[in-house]
Amino acid sequence: MKKIRWSDFSLVSKIMLEVGVLALLLFSINMLFYARINNSMQEMDDVYASNAQITELGQVFDDVQDSMYQYLKVKNSQALMDYYQNEAKYRQELEELNEQNIDDSVKLLEKKIRKMSEAYLSCTAGTVAAKRGRNVEKYKQEYDKSLELYSYIQSSMDELNKQLFKENSQTYAALRAVMRYLEISNMVIMLLVVVCGMFLLITATREMFLPLTNMAETAQLVGQGNFNVKMPPTDSRDELGEVTRAFNTMVENLSLYIARTKAGMEKEQQMIERELLMETHLKEAQLKYLQSQINPHFLFNSLNAGVQLAMMEDAEKTSIFVEKMADFFRYNVKKGEEDATLEEELEAVDNYIYILNVRFAGDIHFSKKVECDVGNVRVPSMILQPVVENAVNHGIRNIDWEGHINLSVERWDDHIEISVLDNGLGMTREQIERVLSKKVHSSSGEGDSTGIGMNNVISRLELYYECDGLMEIYSEGEGMGTEVVINIPLERSEKNVQNPAC
Amino acid sequence: MKKKSACILLVFAAVIVLTYMTGESYYRGISEKAGLDEQEEKIYKYQYDMIVDSPDSQFWQAVYDSAKKKAASNNVLLEIMGSDRETSYNKLDYMNMSIAAKADGIILQYNGEAGLEEAINTAVRNGIPVVTVMSDAVHSRRQSFVGVSDYQLGMAYGEIVARYVNENTKKILILQKRDIDDMNESQIYTQISNAVQTAVGSADIEIKGRNLLSTGTFETEEAVTDIFQQKRNIPDILVCMDEETTECARQAVLDFNLAGKVEIIGYYTSEDILAAVEKGVISVTCDVDTTQLGQYSVEAVTSYIEDGRTNSFYNVDINFLDKTAVEKMRREAVTDEKNPLE
Repeated sequence: MKKIRWSDFSLVSKIMLEVGVLALLLFSINMLFYARINNSMQEMDDVYASNAQITELGQVFDDVQDSMYQYLKVKNSQALMDYYQNEAKYRQELEELNEQNIDDSVKLLEKKIRKMSEAYLSCTAGTVAAKRGRNVEKYKQEYDKSLELYSYIQSSMDELNKQLFKENSQTYAALRAVMRYLEISNMVIMLLVVVCGMFLLITATREMFLPLTNMAETAQLVGQGNFNVKMPPTDSRDELGEVTRAFNTMVENLSLYIARTKAGMEKEQQMIERELLMETHLKEAQLKYLQSQINPHFLFNSLNAGVQLAMMEDAEKTSIFVEKMADFFRYNVKKGEEDATLEEELEAVDNYIYILNVRFAGDIHFSKKVECDVGNVRVPSMILQPVVENAVNHGIRNIDWEGHINLSVERWDDHIEISVLDNGLGMTREQIERVLSKKVHSSSGEGDSTGIGMNNVISRLELYYECDGLMEIYSEGEGMGTEVVINIPLERSEKNVQNPAC
Repeated sequence: MKKKSACILLVFAAVIVLTYMTGESYYRGISEKAGLDEQEEKIYKYQYDMIVDSPDSQFWQAVYDSAKKKAASNNVLLEIMGSDRETSYNKLDYMNMSIAAKADGIILQYNGEAGLEEAINTAVRNGIPVVTVMSDAVHSRRQSFVGVSDYQLGMAYGEIVARYVNENTKKILILQKRDIDDMNESQIYTQISNAVQTAVGSADIEIKGRNLLSTGTFETEEAVTDIFQQKRNIPDILVCMDEETTECARQAVLDFNLAGKVEIIGYYTSEDILAAVEKGVISVTCDVDTTQLGQYSVEAVTSYIEDGRTNSFYNVDINFLDKTAVEKMRREAVTDEKNPLE
């Protein structure tokens, strides 16, 4: 058989039971008090019963004496009848009195009254018998004797009544004290029981609703996003037990759902990252592939072989061209990832222009004006060639007039100003803005280009000198040519030269 | 939390139970005190009545206490008659009552009251043994007498009185409560008289006896005061033969400023009398052994009931205490209190 547990009762049953027990307790205490008070009341009622009894006995005793006297006086049968009746009644009532030798003044007095009464009754019987037998002398003698005993008994009865009254008064006073005590003690006990009962009720109710209070706190924590909190497991079958289990399941499911969503998002993020990485790798691979297409050493060796062949064939121009091309590519490959002196940069521009002039049959008129020592000025590598390449490709390539590119290097107090001026197509203000704000994407690696765009140049200048606005572009409009000015801060570039290792 | 609640609950329950139990015991205590609950009552085999002159006097209360103890050990319930009553019954009435109430035995202080001897005889006829104490009904059918014989008492008093007689002694008054017409026939009077004469020879000393027996209340005090009011007749030595007379004489001597001038030979050792002896108001007092008196009287009745016979006379010791003896007795009492084990 399944054991019935307190925690399995429904809330209503629990509250009903608690209140019921309290009510039963109060009822029992009340009944107990009622019984005690009732008992005392009954005792109080009986207090003076003994006095009443003795008074009644005295009355019957008087009746015996009166009826005997009446008979002696008139000698009628009614009086005799009365005497016998009273005598019988008196004897009957005497039976109630004590006849033992008990060490109690009342009991002893009772015994004496009883014994004296017996003597008295035998005396009265003798008197009546003598009267009936007309023995005048005897009945008078007996009557005197009975009269004497009558007075003794009477006084003893008075004494007994007095003693009983004294005792009963004490009993009454004690009973009054008992009643007073009962009043106080009942009130104290009742008060204690009520306080105890209230405490029990409050404790049990609080105990009963404790899971609900805990759940409210836990729910608040869950609401703040803490899914690790849980209600202590319970196996109680009441409503709160059910709600607690449901709550725990809900929190578990919620936590699981959140974890699953989180995992999904993380996975998605990883996939995006991987995709990006793959794209980067793809581009890198593309680049590597392109680079691998021209093995620089092979190219340089081939070009050197070409130089030697041209010299052997006395083709001096070809020899110089191939040599310049070899120098240009060597510089390009070697300085791709480090800085260079401004002199080396200018040399690379010279080589580039020479190559282009060979390609385009001397269409590009390039002039260079260097007004200071540029051997000690360090700049990011490959910054001038792209600018010159832009001037060629976007400035002077498709013009109807003779194209000129002027490169000048001028030293100021705190910087060196490099200017690349062409008389080509020119640029609109918007184009200049777009170039300077690096919004123009060059199609590097494609077509007829060295692959380094203006964005790249501007960015590397900013990174190298740790300041903006080092490049300026001026153009007065279409067909009015373009001037690109690069300002090299001297302090930084010279320091770099003095401490090239830094 | 649960443990704490259980603890508090337990404490509450304990307090309630304790309160209830304390209350219940208090309730029982009050009930018992009031006699609401029936006490166990001891039932005795015999019941004796003790009939004496002044049942409330210290002397007879002391006798009664000792007799009651002895009686209880003999399964006897002893009652002293008239101690609580406000009625004016005399000894004859009490005797008649005891006879009618069929007491098992009567201890009577005989005083020669009219009809008392006959009452003694009636009681004996009805199978109730009677023992007289302190003074004897010689001519009755009483079973035994317990006390000091008049002869013995007279001898002892005579000896003491003789000790206090000197050349200035002119008058000696002996106060008794005896139902005899001529005090000169009293054994006590005779013995004292003889002793005084032996002591002083032919000197002219007036020795008088006076009977103070009366049924009237306060008459002893009136009679004693009366003696001191007649200045010519104030005795030099006043012999008192009972407790009440002694106390009255002491008070009269103080009232008339005669302390030290009148030698009082007292009777019994109540606290007032002993104090008076210490102060020299009473010269000497006779101490009767109340314990013996009580014990012997009960013993006499019981042995008659159980054995059918008893000694016809039980002698009780007497002793005279003067100032030195009382002081010594007091010192011994203090020492006994301090060292109760010794």
